[in-house]
This record gives sequence, C-alpha cells and structure tokens, in this order.
Amino acid sequence: MMLEMESLSKSFGGLIAINRLDLDVYAGEILGLIGPNGSGKTTLFNLISGLFKPDSGKIKLNGIDITHLSSHKICRMGIARTFQLTKPFAQMTTLENVMVGKAFGCAPTWSMREAKEEAEKILKFIGLGEKSMWRASSLGVVERKRLEIARALATKPKLLLLDEMMAGLTPTEVEEAMMLVKKIRDSGITLVVVEHVMEAILGISDRVVAINAGEKIAEGAPQNVVCEKKVIEAYLGEEAYTDFES
Amino acid sequence: MPYNWKRVSIFGGIIALSALLPLFTTRSDILTWSCLTLQYILLSQSWNIIAGCAGQVNLGHAAFFGLGALTTRYFWLGGLPFPIALLSGAVIATLFALLIGIPAFRLRGIYFVIGTLVLAEILKVVIDTRFPVASVLPAEILATYSLVPRYYLNLMGAVLAMISVYFISHSKLGLGMMAIREDEDAAKTSGVGILQYKLIAFAISTFLAGFAGGIFAFYMVAIQPGYVFSPVWTFDPVVIVYIGGIGTLIGPVIGSVFFVLLKQWLSLHLPGGLHLAVFGVLFILVVLYMPDGFIEAIRRYGKIITFGEKPPMQGG
Repeated sequence: MMLEMESLSKSFGGLIAINRLDLDVYAGEILGLIGPNGSGKTTLFNLISGLFKPDSGKIKLNGIDITHLSSHKICRMGIARTFQLTKPFAQMTTLENVMVGKAFGCAPTWSMREAKEEAEKILKFIGLGEKSMWRASSLGVVERKRLEIARALATKPKLLLLDEMMAGLTPTEVEEAMMLVKKIRDSGITLVVVEHVMEAILGISDRVVAINAGEKIAEGAPQNVVCEKKVIEAYLGEEAYTDFES
Repeated sequence: MPYNWKRVSIFGGIIALSALLPLFTTRSDILTWSCLTLQYILLSQSWNIIAGCAGQVNLGHAAFFGLGALTTRYFWLGGLPFPIALLSGAVIATLFALLIGIPAFRLRGIYFVIGTLVLAEILKVVIDTRFPVASVLPAEILATYSLVPRYYLNLMGAVLAMISVYFISHSKLGLGMMAIREDEDAAKTSGVGILQYKLIAFAISTFLAGFAGGIFAFYMVAIQPGYVFSPVWTFDPVVIVYIGGIGTLIGPVIGSVFFVLLKQWLSLHLPGGLHLAVFGVLFILVVLYMPDGFIEAIRRYGKIITFGEKPPMQGG
C-alpha cells in the first residue's frame, strides 16, 4: 500500500466536503477517481498535497504520517499533482516552469545546468520541446495541461495526482493523453486520476473508486463501478437509473 | 543559464568608464548627480528583489534604509572604522527584517502591503521622538570631506546591486522567488518552501537597502534621524522600479537615471514639493498604461540591447 487515507474528514463552515473517508492507493496502479461535481475529488487532492489540512483523520505515505506536513515537504516525499484549472508560472518560460519542479523536487539541485537539461528532457517526452523558450502565458490550454504534468514529473514523484487533465480535449487528444498516462505509469509512477471522461477512466484505470458528497460509494473494477446503481444515481439522479435498467 | 559574455563585457566596460569619471571632472554638481543616480540604482534594485522577483510588495522599505543609515552613522561617528560601520548597518537592517518577516509573511496580499507600511511608519515615529536632534559631521571629518570617495562608494553599491540581481535571477533562488510570485500554491506543491524563500528574498533586499542607507549616512553632512525613515525612501524606489520595468535587470537603472534627471529639472522649475505630485501622477499613468515600464514599451516598439530577462513573447 502506498497511500492510505484513514477516516479523513474536512468541512468548510457548515459544508462537509470529505466525510470519514477511507481510501487506499496501491503502488504501481492507476486508480481512477470519479464522482459528480462537488463530490470532494479536488478537496481530496488538496488534502493529500497539503494545501488543506483535514479536520480529522490520517494520511500515510508508505507508512509515514504526512497528514500535517507542509506542501513542499509532501512534494519532496514523492507526491506531485496537477490542478484542474492549470496554474502555470505565467511570466516564466516553459523551460523555467519545469526547472522549478526539478530544482525543488525529490532530486533537488542548485545547478541550473542540471535543472535545464532535465527540464528539456521532460519537455521533449511530453511534446513541448519546441516551445521551451515560450512564455508560459502564451501557451494554449492543452499545452498548459501538458506543462502542468511536465512540471509535476520534474519533481520525480512516486505518486502523481492528475486532476481532470482530459477536460476539454478532443477525442484524439484524449487518446494521446491516455497513452501519456500509461507511459508515466510504465516509468514507475503510481497515479490517481480524477476524470469525468468515462471512456478514459475505463481505458486507463486498474481500479476505480467513486465518491459522492465526500464519501466512498463504490470501489472495484472500472467496468463494474461505472454501472453501479449508486454511481449512476449520483451522476444522473435517481430516475436515471430506472431508465437505464429498462 | 550560461553567462552571456557579450553582456558581461558591456557591463564591465560601463563600470570601467564610470570608475574613470572623477579623473575627468571635479565638478561637484556632476559628481553629486552621479552619486544620487547610483544611490537610487542600489536602492531601487534592492526593492526590485523583493517586489519584482519575489512578488512581495513591501511598502516598509524605508525602515531598512533608515536602520542602515542610523546604525552606520552612529557607529562610524562613534569611532568604528567606516567599512565595519557600513557592514553593521546592513546587518542590523537584515536582522530586523528577519525578525518582522516571520510574522509579516503570514499576512496575505494587501494586508502584507499595509502591514509593512505601518511597521515603517511606527519606526519613524519612534525614531523621531527618541532622536529629534540632527547628526552633523564633526569638524575634523568635514575638513577632509570629498565627493570622490563617496562617488566610488556609490558606484560600488550600484555594482553590488546589479550583480546581486543578476545572480539571483540566474540561480535557484530566482526560480524559487519567481515561482512564489507567479503562483504560491503551484510553487508549494512543486517543492518550494514559501516562507523560506520569501525570507531569503527579504534578507537580500533589506541588506542592500541597509547598505544604501549606510552609504547615505557617509555622504550626508547633516542627517535628521527621522528623515531617513521617511516614506520617500520607499516610494522613490517604487516609482523608479515601475517606470523602468519591474522584475527586470536594467529597468531600475533606466528608471533611476530618468528619475534623478526629472527630479532635478522639476525642482528647478516647480515650487516647493510639487515635484512629488508630478511623480505621483506619472506613477499612476505608468501603472495604468505601461505596467511593465519603459523596458517593455521599448521592446514592443523597437529593438534594444537589454540585459533581457523576460523572454520574447512568441506567437501570442
């Protein structure tokens, strides 16, 4: 078990975002995380990466309690993430964006040459090699998503959290993204992927967990979970399941 | 980023020429003007580091200039060799910065801006009340007062500032600071220790500000202690940096030259403190219409040799 979340809870004022959630992530897998909007997926990512602190519960990485560690320490322990709405370092170049990940991540360095070489390698891997000297603010949406991933990969994570990277992609782009995710897993990184694009989830996940209103409602093989009554009801409402049945 | 030898040699050439200036003229007005310009280059670059590079708008910069100035002044006139007094001034400024930085950086956004402004004002009031009497250079020092060593001191300060900004922006320090400036959450989750790097930027910035204060203390014949804590020592560099180009290497240089020239000209032709009003209006215009300063405006409309740090914006 790589990442364990025990009885995790988080509220914002009166709103319960995560409700006593237990969730495990196994080393080497691609875990798909699905759920309707507002179900707590991004909050969960924020809790894992340390941007929020839970009200109660524990998060353990390979047995080590990381619940109350600061975000940059969590990154250095091997957890990287992307953001649903991309957060590039806009006024810096594409290359510099990725250099930050390399210089400050799990294999940190003070050598700018080393950071630059590593960043160029990763940009090539992800298909942004030609645009390394472009200012990040002039990249298109799809390129920005790739840049997020490149920057996260540069930190040399053991676990990568991808937050809706396929939103707004064309079917071809979704195919490419799915291949990229598999390539990343093949390089030895465990992945948790939040997605709404069901064919992507079905295509890449080893296992799927569905959450709604901050609670786990289903867990198992992808094709089973997406057909479960509770899951369909959560996405489409109760009547939809009856329609689906008939 | 490998060193650009062409730029380094141009920079070296400019310094060499500048070092020769006192050999070509003994006119005190030229030397004074040069001292002022160099002083503002140092002071504005020091603010550029915390605000342009790290994105933290510190409006209490005067506090560190003042602490450096007073510490240096009193140590020097108290008998310490001047170089030690100068270093002490900068160190005291930095220590104070680290002290208030830890609580101050808990404040976000506008609260940090106002918080630093308030801190500097409190310090000014305290100094004004406790040390109302002006410090005047004693006769033996006045007897040998010369602008030439002061010119070289200012030149050294300006060179130190330029080298600092250059090295920061080509190092991991710069990467960290700029990442914080751009997006703190993304920086955090990419491994950047936020408080740590804000404090580093603050320390370097305030060290240079204190250093500038110390040089000023050596330069001025008479100093009213409260004066070196006056908000002008914050807002002059702020205006200079924004006019020249915030976050750039050469912006503060252009801004300083422009500022000192304009200030001289205005104070000759306008009554009283009206030149401050002119700078206020200019500042507003720059922020509204030319937020990246002269540097960016020039780059957009023509080619120029700059120590370009902001990359060209291709395709969009």
